[in-house]
Amino acid sequence: MKQGRRALAALLLALWCLLGGGCVSIEISQAGPGVTAAPEDIPAFSGDPYVVLLDNEPGFTESQLTSSSYETYSPLDQLGRCGQAMACVGTDLMPTEERGAIGSVKPTGWQTVKYDCVDGKYLYNRCHLIGFQLTGENANKQNLITGTRYMNVDGMLPFENMVADYVKETENHVLYRVTPFFEGENLVASGVQLEAKSVEDQGEGVCFNVYVYNCQPGVVIDYATGESRLEERTGDEKEYVLNTSSKKFHLPSCSGAASIGEANRQDFSGSREELMNRGYDPCGACKP
Amino acid sequence: MIAVVCVDDRGGMLFNRRRQSQDRVLRGDLLALAAGRPVWMNGYSLGQFGPETGDLRTAEDCLDRAGKGELCFVETTDPAPWLERMEGLVLYRWNRRYPADLYCTLPLEDFVLEERREFAGSSHECITREVYRR
Repeated sequence: MKQGRRALAALLLALWCLLGGGCVSIEISQAGPGVTAAPEDIPAFSGDPYVVLLDNEPGFTESQLTSSSYETYSPLDQLGRCGQAMACVGTDLMPTEERGAIGSVKPTGWQTVKYDCVDGKYLYNRCHLIGFQLTGENANKQNLITGTRYMNVDGMLPFENMVADYVKETENHVLYRVTPFFEGENLVASGVQLEAKSVEDQGEGVCFNVYVYNCQPGVVIDYATGESRLEERTGDEKEYVLNTSSKKFHLPSCSGAASIGEANRQDFSGSREELMNRGYDPCGACKP
Repeated sequence: MIAVVCVDDRGGMLFNRRRQSQDRVLRGDLLALAAGRPVWMNGYSLGQFGPETGDLRTAEDCLDRAGKGELCFVETTDPAPWLERMEGLVLYRWNRRYPADLYCTLPLEDFVLEERREFAGSSHECITREVYRR
């Protein structure tokens, strides 16, 4: 049943391409088909793994909100890069078997490189555009990009969890679209736009539109090639602890840092000036 | 008043004015825990519950209105400002990471953990219930 839906969806996607809808990967210099984010909507990375776009309202049209499951993946472009992926996620698309090996796929810009500052050491993951838990796609090269561990785990996974658990609980459908943004001819995406809306309840259960940054704190990435290096520390860069609620920053040894609740605590490496520019004030006790 | 809150791994409650998750087994567990006591909640939370359920009381200011020994199921407000009204807390942990823009900032060090229990939900592999008293 799933294969039949995929064949129909692929046929519709091909027809759409032939009619000029376009299915090449999105260039950051212009919004692509059905993509609601424009470059000016996306601020520079400022320490959070994602940023909300357009008040979290996805750019789906009414006709796209269907209660029939399907999934579509764009053909790779001339550089071998992934394009937009879209699915109407229902329980019938979700995996029934354990995830298989995906190591045979080498997405554009792929590098095997490790850093001590990265959770799990490896900088890059083969990152599913539409997560395995949603549509059960394993080694589908049209659905795998070179993504940082940070983007994969801190950025995309929480949204995939939200969609997957909602679908499993309600047996409703969620329209879900992932658009990788490649700047110029870069082989590594700058980030991905995630849009989702639950169908049967018109977005009452799930509704978001976010941009997730394909970056890794502490590592500098050359998005043209995927090469990377450790970020150089200047003399005035230090470790700080942020209270994202009170907008105060502390030295790690400050008693005020120890009492910050988990929800409001964030570790930061960088300069005092950068924090001040982001609206943070120094703690009056430890005077960082 | 005994607050009842569902949180993810980072204390998140809500994203884009929507609950992070829901689970019918959790709702049943909450009603069983209430054991006939009133359970207060706002209109948004009431939408999760069917008509056959227990003594549910709805008010937008439910955190102010829930009385002694009564439960208050809170989804859309950080209950921390009502700390002084609380006799206890029931914390359900999804054991998952979800996006969040509203967090529960209750200081758990102000409570005493009385019971911790894990159970499988209808769509969550493992939900943890923690019961605290002040």
